Amino acid sequence: MSRIGVFICHCGENIGGTVDCEKVAETAAKYPGVAYSVDYKYMCSDPGQNMIKDAIKEHKLTGVVVAACSPRMHEPTFRKAVSEAGINPFLCEMANLREHCSWVHLKDDSTTEKAEELVKVLVEKVKRNQPLEPIKVPVTKTALVLGGGIAGIQAALDIANSGHKVIMIEKSPSIGGHMSQLSETFPTLDCSQCILTPRMVEVAQHPNITLYTYAELVGLDGFIGNFQASIKLKAKSIDHDICNGCGDCIAKCPIKKIPDEFNAGLGTRTAVYVPFPQAVPNKPVIDRENCTYFTRDGKCGLCAKVCTKGAIDYSQKDEIITIDVGAVVVATGFDIKGTDFFPEYGYGRYKDVITGLQFERLASASGPTLGEIKRPSDGKVPQNIVFIACAGSRDPAKGIEYCSKICCMYTAKHAMLYKHKVHQGKASVFYMDIRAGGKMYEEFVRRAIEEDDVNYIRGRVSRIYEKNGKLIVKGVDTLLDAYPVEIEADMVVLATAGIANEGSEELAQSLHISYDQHNFFAEAHPKLKPVETNTAGIMLAGACQSPKDIPDSVSQASGAAVKVAALFSKDELTRDPLIAYVNRCGPPTYSTCVGCFLCVSVCPYLAIEKEQIKDRNGNLIKEVAKINPGLCQGCGTCVALCRSKSIDIYGYSHSQVFAEVMALFNERSLENV
Amino acid sequence: MSNFEPKIIAFVCNWCTYAGADLAGTSRIKYAPNVRIVRFPCTGRIDFMLLLKALQTGADGIIVSGCHPADCHYTAGNYHARRRWIIFKSLLDFVGFDTGRITFSWVSAAEGAKWAQIVNETVDKIRDLGPYTDYSNLNKLGVGTITEVLNARTA
Amino acid sequence: MQELHNKIKSILENGSASLFIAYQKSREGKITPTFITKPEQSQKAYFGDDCKQNLAVYIHKQEVKNFGKVGIFANIYTLKSLLQIYAENQIRDDYLKVVTINPNGAIVEFANFMEIENYVNENKPAPNPEDMERVEKLSNLSREERWDYWLNELSTCIKCYACRAACPMCYCTKCTVDCNQPQWISTPSHSLGNIEWHIMRAMHLAGRCVECNECARVCPMDIPLNLLTVKLNDTANIEFGQQAGLKGELDYALSTFKVDDKENFIR
Ligand code: SF4
Ligand code: SF4
Ligand code: FES
Repeated sequence: MSRIGVFICHCGENIGGTVDCEKVAETAAKYPGVAYSVDYKYMCSDPGQNMIKDAIKEHKLTGVVVAACSPRMHEPTFRKAVSEAGINPFLCEMANLREHCSWVHLKDDSTTEKAEELVKVLVEKVKRNQPLEPIKVPVTKTALVLGGGIAGIQAALDIANSGHKVIMIEKSPSIGGHMSQLSETFPTLDCSQCILTPRMVEVAQHPNITLYTYAELVGLDGFIGNFQASIKLKAKSIDHDICNGCGDCIAKCPIKKIPDEFNAGLGTRTAVYVPFPQAVPNKPVIDRENCTYFTRDGKCGLCAKVCTKGAIDYSQKDEIITIDVGAVVVATGFDIKGTDFFPEYGYGRYKDVITGLQFERLASASGPTLGEIKRPSDGKVPQNIVFIACAGSRDPAKGIEYCSKICCMYTAKHAMLYKHKVHQGKASVFYMDIRAGGKMYEEFVRRAIEEDDVNYIRGRVSRIYEKNGKLIVKGVDTLLDAYPVEIEADMVVLATAGIANEGSEELAQSLHISYDQHNFFAEAHPKLKPVETNTAGIMLAGACQSPKDIPDSVSQASGAAVKVAALFSKDELTRDPLIAYVNRCGPPTYSTCVGCFLCVSVCPYLAIEKEQIKDRNGNLIKEVAKINPGLCQGCGTCVALCRSKSIDIYGYSHSQVFAEVMALFNERSLENV
Repeated sequence: MSNFEPKIIAFVCNWCTYAGADLAGTSRIKYAPNVRIVRFPCTGRIDFMLLLKALQTGADGIIVSGCHPADCHYTAGNYHARRRWIIFKSLLDFVGFDTGRITFSWVSAAEGAKWAQIVNETVDKIRDLGPYTDYSNLNKLGVGTITEVLNARTA
Repeated sequence: MQELHNKIKSILENGSASLFIAYQKSREGKITPTFITKPEQSQKAYFGDDCKQNLAVYIHKQEVKNFGKVGIFANIYTLKSLLQIYAENQIRDDYLKVVTINPNGAIVEFANFMEIENYVNENKPAPNPEDMERVEKLSNLSREERWDYWLNELSTCIKCYACRAACPMCYCTKCTVDCNQPQWISTPSHSLGNIEWHIMRAMHLAGRCVECNECARVCPMDIPLNLLTVKLNDTANIEFGQQAGLKGELDYALSTFKVDDKENFIR
């Protein structure tokens, strides 16, 4: 038999001025199961709380209803108070007499009546409350950082510097990401590599960071604090423990014509290669797709012959390792659309129509032209260059509908760099709008226009075609009343859209995180949880979430790192135990769940798994649903969906909510009988 | 009927509408006292059977409210709820329930005023419609004996 | 018929099933299910347009499961049911041998559910025009008239649960009506309890009912309760483009959503 205590708070005049609290307490005393009922001026004050504690002991209460302000305000206060008096905190509920009653209604009998009913509802609920313990899960204090671009690097360093272990994996042979490909950075025009490479080296040397390059995540199981990551270490064909990075093998490799990824296809590389001079680790790998030793069964083998250390190992195999981690930072970056998607821009046929990233390589001192702007077709310095912003972005018809965010700025930078390098050259930019929100960004664009004399034309380019060795760029100037413009250019740079990486969909699925319609990973809340995903313990950093510039990526990475560090600040995670569970019962039923698994797809957190119930000999008896308590957040959607009511949820159980509803109005219907 | 005061039960999610109703309170926006709020974690938790139970127990009107689409604290509970209500409403309409007595709404934590308005409008509407006894009175009709029923049928 | 007999015989003989579920016709012309375990009993099987019962319901029975591999003769609705309960993880591909007679009168034996899916989609029965018409007619009545109609119909329900027992989609070990903690559905068969039961039943079958109409056929009180699920299937199809019994992979309107699902009543 329940012995419920009801404590009605006047909240000074806040409740007491409108609601007849004394009467509410009197009425509540008559509700079945109520052992004690009292009203008091300020329940949340020390004497008020002591009153509750004393009553619990004196009247041997089994549950408490505090009728006061909103539970969103003082539920923790009163739950703590009751637990100090020795009963489980989850046996305390609050009726909202202030925000939902006294503050919104006039002083009237109907208001007091409402207060009485609100108390009654909660009394019926609390009678059915169960004592609950916060869920404790141990935390593995190692973070997995996916991706070694600037976002991943920043997150890894921040986490490592706060004293936790980090595993960083990068799919290419070196960390550095897109930032390592950039020439100078807006709006300061400082050299990208000069600020990045020290960070890369720091990652490699940090005692808390273990770096796996040429590696990919193949699976992630578990839940916050307790993930198991399976990582594929692709065979490098070179023993990096022995290799000293002398590069003799690279010099001798006869396969020299492979388009160079680092130079965005503008240069070539060998089959055994280091992607760029400042690579970390600065040791080569053999690209098996292009090496004849692998493509033509053992032909060549030159590198093994020249390597004085004997580091070349053609027999290496891909290896899968499993690592326990407590949190994951996804920083896998982005990709850019090529030039080949726009029919009117020649479908990528013209060599001198290049992407912004290619221009970066041309402008970079470490690039194929050593920083001289030369056009790819004949190596001549273009005297007239055209930049086209929004090439694919904000174009739902042919490209993507969103704004890629970085192109306005880098286009201004490109035009500026060009003018700094080719003083007599002419640079024009076709743009739709100039989006230069950011510290010193607008000033930067103005500088390009005003100081560096870049010709900004507001309008779209309708066509590009080749004529007499020139690229004819036809467009309109919409500020001049759609006046047609035609420019005979030597080179055209398309600020093509930033898009999600190929394979991000699969990666999201193996991480169990959501992604948007463009395959960018989805944050848990667009405003308030921009670095978390809806899978607890997995954070996002950088352009894998949406296109971002460097400062934004770095800020988000630091944000993600703080989330990880906060998670790792305790040995155990405590979570609210208000989660769902699938019932279990004795044989022969074991569970009323029939294993239809219609619930699996309703769970926003992919918390519902299949579980096999087996007999002692390991024979399958039944397959049923099981809710992973580490993943369930307690929304209750599955609870309402399950036809056989096999799923229930602590805190809002079937019997609790049923009783609450049935407690209302019932008197009237009984009266009428 | 002049002094009829509708009994309204509101099924709301904790994160938006409950908080929105709290905001109506802190902003001291006055509304009709006829409503009783029952708190749920999310609209996804609201079992359609509870709506029937509320009508059975004598509610004259019902409000079901949660976070706006895209704002659900659990990202998708309200999308599932929306589908559930589309189907459920179709059924109630088909069976002849007075679904005009059920207000479905999205009220965010910032929409205290909207909450007050939803309550007031629902109360006014139900006051005009009068008590809803079509359904709640049925359990008082008692159980007809099989012969009675069969006779009624053949007649 | 001979062909069917031979087929059943060979299935039982070659061990691809140890029990075969089919229809039989008594001398009085009554169609009942038959459970054939011996090859020589194969000639008991009968098939004709009068074979309406949805035999898929037996697949859930423990007595049937105990046989291990089971064969079943399925009319088009039974096929749809099998596909639906397969999508709902209730049967395994390798434990079922399904046989039907196609519109040209030829025996078809399915190797797997993929084949059933293809067959069902090619031979998809159109919604029963009579039922659609009745639904339409009811929908055009006033709300009060509809209420009176259903009250009148449903108040006669005696809660025998024959409808539930006959439905292949009602396979829960414990149905919501069996819950007494809390008592979701009032136990007496007074009108309120009956309406609760039928609302719940229809909700649980929305988008899952294959429209075999078995429930209405078995109802001793002749309640046209299939109209409720027919109506909700129609809603699920119109609103969400989902239809039951056509896919071997789970496709259920209420366990998925689209961000831009449309409605016109939420404020
Ligand atoms: S309560 Fe919500 S979060 Fe938990 S398992 Fe069910 S659907 Fe998933
Ligand atoms: S078969 Fe008919 S009488 Fe029996 S429970 Fe179903 S509807 Fe009611
Ligand atoms: S939390 Fe409000 S609708 Fe899901």
